[in-house]
Amino acid sequence: MYKQVQVIGGKGEGAHRFGRTLRSITVDGSDRLYAVGDSELKVFDADGTLRHRWPTSRPGYAVAVADDGLVCVGEAGQVEIFDSGGTLANTWRDAERLGRITAIGFVSGYVLVGDAKDRAIRRYDASGTFLNDIGKNNRMQGFLIPNGIVDFSVDADGVIHATNPGKHRIERYTPDDQLLGHIGRFNGIDPAGFSGCCNPTNVTVAGRDRIYVTEKAEPRAKVYDFQGSLIAVIATDVFDPNCKNMDIAVDRRGRVYVADTVRLEILAFEGDAES
Amino acid sequence: MSDGLTRRDALNRVARGTVLLGFGGTAAFLIEKADGQVVWQVDASRCVNSRLGEVGVPVCTLCTTECVVQQSAVRAVNNFRECGRCYICPAYYNIKSAVDEKGLPSEKLCPRDAIERQPIGMVDPGDPANNFYEYIIDDEKCDGCGICVKGCKEPLGLGSIILKVRHNLCVDCNHCAISLACPKEALVRQPVADALEPTLATHSTR
Repeated sequence: MYKQVQVIGGKGEGAHRFGRTLRSITVDGSDRLYAVGDSELKVFDADGTLRHRWPTSRPGYAVAVADDGLVCVGEAGQVEIFDSGGTLANTWRDAERLGRITAIGFVSGYVLVGDAKDRAIRRYDASGTFLNDIGKNNRMQGFLIPNGIVDFSVDADGVIHATNPGKHRIERYTPDDQLLGHIGRFNGIDPAGFSGCCNPTNVTVAGRDRIYVTEKAEPRAKVYDFQGSLIAVIATDVFDPNCKNMDIAVDRRGRVYVADTVRLEILAFEGDAES
Repeated sequence: MSDGLTRRDALNRVARGTVLLGFGGTAAFLIEKADGQVVWQVDASRCVNSRLGEVGVPVCTLCTTECVVQQSAVRAVNNFRECGRCYICPAYYNIKSAVDEKGLPSEKLCPRDAIERQPIGMVDPGDPANNFYEYIIDDEKCDGCGICVKGCKEPLGLGSIILKVRHNLCVDCNHCAISLACPKEALVRQPVADALEPTLATHSTR
């Protein structure tokens, strides 16, 4: 069982609030929470206190923090890379392959970016040289994303878990684009299934065996094991019903953060020992 | 009143002016309508079935029940430019029905079975989800009840299906019966050019 323990942010003018959008969240190795929305990145302490914020040149769609502390923000047409203090270190631009970046991850020294415009994940080396696509070389020429975003997460073994919401699945890939398998099936009644036209929309993996997802219409957050068995429904009725593409992150304590994209709040949930 | 005009006279003048303006507006509308310049159309941004943000409200079927035309002059129209061509379309399937042996919802949503589901290209026999699907609304069967419109609405769907007045069916009443009943004032008078959008196409260009 999970219970809601905190609400961070919210719609408004204050420094810790979001003006118009809240699109992506992530947690670093020190349990600091990063959030992008509007054209700004905010960093919250583990207790939810705003510690830093800095502007991005374009509205952010994705945020990720590398092991070395570099903060990557995915935007339309580019990835901005900041040091931990918010100083811009680099900007990757690639007119062909960086259409609208809605997810960023890291594996074995490589950088992965999800391009929603082309429905694919790109793999780059650390210097920004393109290596290969992931999830693109198939009959549908990419992920089926009527919801408009590509999202993925990398587990401790370097396996990429990517949402394919039009197929109601989470697919597993190697960094060199081998499809290893998938979990998930459609079901509009059984909470163990994924409902609607296209779910789950967002995913993050944590620990050795946990896949956390969010769905839209009706919005909810759930956790599965790697075999696809539903472990728990984290929350259902606490989000605005018009929410979609609610990003999700989990810290080292097992605290689950979900971004309400309408109320522009980050909701924190904690489970009991069984969860 | 200083110039001999009583308060009652002034109010009468205002009232007469208002009535004349009303007549003028109506007359202008009738002239435009007679010239074929304006027609009735559904404003999707007002219609409760398609309007964003309206969730948890029942389907409004007034376009079906109030229209003076038998089976209504309003039809659901799929704007193929916006359609996601989903494997499981919440406007086609009753997504809350039990799942069948193929893993699909066992019930359709449309009570008149007016939507046809066609795969685009060859279906992958090993994985039917590995395909795009086209959803075509049969004008002969549709009565504009709006159930599929609500099923397609964001965030559940993409909002590609909306209600439209079919002008080959509409008898062009001066005071559209649906407009009188619509609680959202979604039946509006539009210039012909605005009312006839590409969404009136019945098939997509594949």
